[in-house]
Amino acid sequence: MNMYLHELRSLRRTTVIWTCAMIAIALVYLSLYPAIYRDGAHFRDMLAGYPASIRAMLGVTLDSITSVLGFYSMIIAFVVLCGGIQAMNLGMSILSEETRERTADFLLVKPVSRAAIVTAKMLAALTVFLITDVTYYAAAAVMAFAVRQSSYSAGLFFMMNLTLLFVQLIFFAIGAVVSVFFDRLRSVLPVSLGTVFGCYVIGALIAASKDDWARFISPFRYFDYPSIISTARYEMPYLATGAAIVIVSIFACYTGYTRKDIHAVS
Amino acid sequence: MNMVRRELKANARALVIWSVCMFLCVISGMAKFTAYTSATTTGPSINDLLKSMPTSIKALFGFASFDLATMSGYLALLFIYVELVAAIHAALLGTGIIAKEERDKTAEYLMVKPVSRAAILTSKLVAALINVVVINVVTLVSFLVVVPLYSKGSDASGEILMMTLSMFIVQLIFLSLGTVLAAGMKRSRAAGSVATGILFAAYFIARITDMSDKLRFLNVVSPFKYFDLPRIVAGGGLNPGIVVLSLALVVAFGVLTYVFYQKRDLNI
Repeated sequence: MNMYLHELRSLRRTTVIWTCAMIAIALVYLSLYPAIYRDGAHFRDMLAGYPASIRAMLGVTLDSITSVLGFYSMIIAFVVLCGGIQAMNLGMSILSEETRERTADFLLVKPVSRAAIVTAKMLAALTVFLITDVTYYAAAAVMAFAVRQSSYSAGLFFMMNLTLLFVQLIFFAIGAVVSVFFDRLRSVLPVSLGTVFGCYVIGALIAASKDDWARFISPFRYFDYPSIISTARYEMPYLATGAAIVIVSIFACYTGYTRKDIHAVS
Repeated sequence: MNMVRRELKANARALVIWSVCMFLCVISGMAKFTAYTSATTTGPSINDLLKSMPTSIKALFGFASFDLATMSGYLALLFIYVELVAAIHAALLGTGIIAKEERDKTAEYLMVKPVSRAAILTSKLVAALINVVVINVVTLVSFLVVVPLYSKGSDASGEILMMTLSMFIVQLIFLSLGTVLAAGMKRSRAAGSVATGILFAAYFIARITDMSDKLRFLNVVSPFKYFDLPRIVAGGGLNPGIVVLSLALVVAFGVLTYVFYQKRDLNI
């Protein structure tokens, strides 16, 4: 309990910063929504003069973008990117922090098992994600409701925001495993930024179509927002893969950390 | 000289990894070009339609001010992401190269050597500059090699050169921002996070000003918007005034780095 609270306290400041950043992104984009909706409506009027096929194609895309949920799916892509960076950073730093900050021998001579240490740290990270995501969800829900131009399903909105937590858990798990098995990590930021951005760019450029096998490479593409909006459920293969990654990684962390040779002075 | 060589050796592996990543970015970006051209040129009427679309809607679709069907237009779109990656590299390099002495506890060893702090800084900055130039050249060569494979005849090399030049200046801005932060902040380890935070804020602002004309004044804050990409795409080249101002900013940051580092209380 002690370790859990200690970790939480030391993570307090960064959590606040990340939460504010994510809320700021959502607020700024959502505040532009009414103008976009107006432009979209105006544009749709102009569309009336074009052939039916073009109207159909652009009309559908226009609809999906100017509806609150459609617009929000673009916003949440950014927010999930932010969340992914936060999660990967946290995952990589929380277990290797002792070695990097030279507090390893202090912690490890205490009469607690290494498993207990890992548990405390993981629970602290989970709490950080929950706090960030719940606060963000509250702010986004209020703002989305304020700028809505037509009613939308709060359930779908919740499902979209839940993906933030899922992606964060996946990146946290990956980061934790990397930090346990790769020693001599002097700086967390380049590796975590590189991995998260690599996944983002891969997701945006390579895994563009829906049933690509490449979708499995980038956690950002595990949850396809248009399909969540239209079918109100997550795609099982990807959800299962995500869960598997998290479970296997956590297990690997426990075994790795328990048997690891931890350098007091690296 | 010794220090420059040592810094270059220390950064060599990271430089190779980043160069390969830049090349992959360019290749995968261009591979998507054919998908875009087929989507946007299904008939002349679509083109007119796209031209009459309001800017905010276009920004949402992703092609704010560029004509995506042409190679130059698509290049500008791809370039935004390539520039982001290069800027991240420059910022992390700048903060890392100064902060690493204190982070790795090698500061004491370095400082007792009979070289002035200014000499140390100069060597580090020279090594960092060489790294940034290498990344820039790798990007330029990647573009020059890959684009003709997809361009079906039109020659965009002039625009590519201009865009990579503007990217170089943006890299310099973030590099010097990184060094000044690392030299000035009490906890130099946190400089990396602060520099990337500023970078993402600048990128985010650049995307927002794309969406709404009313926020045009915010462009001053974001180095990504210092150079007018649509103008470069149209063949207009770089604005000399902006180039001079940006370089002045880089020099200002550089001078501040020296001033801060000279007075710095090193955490050994």
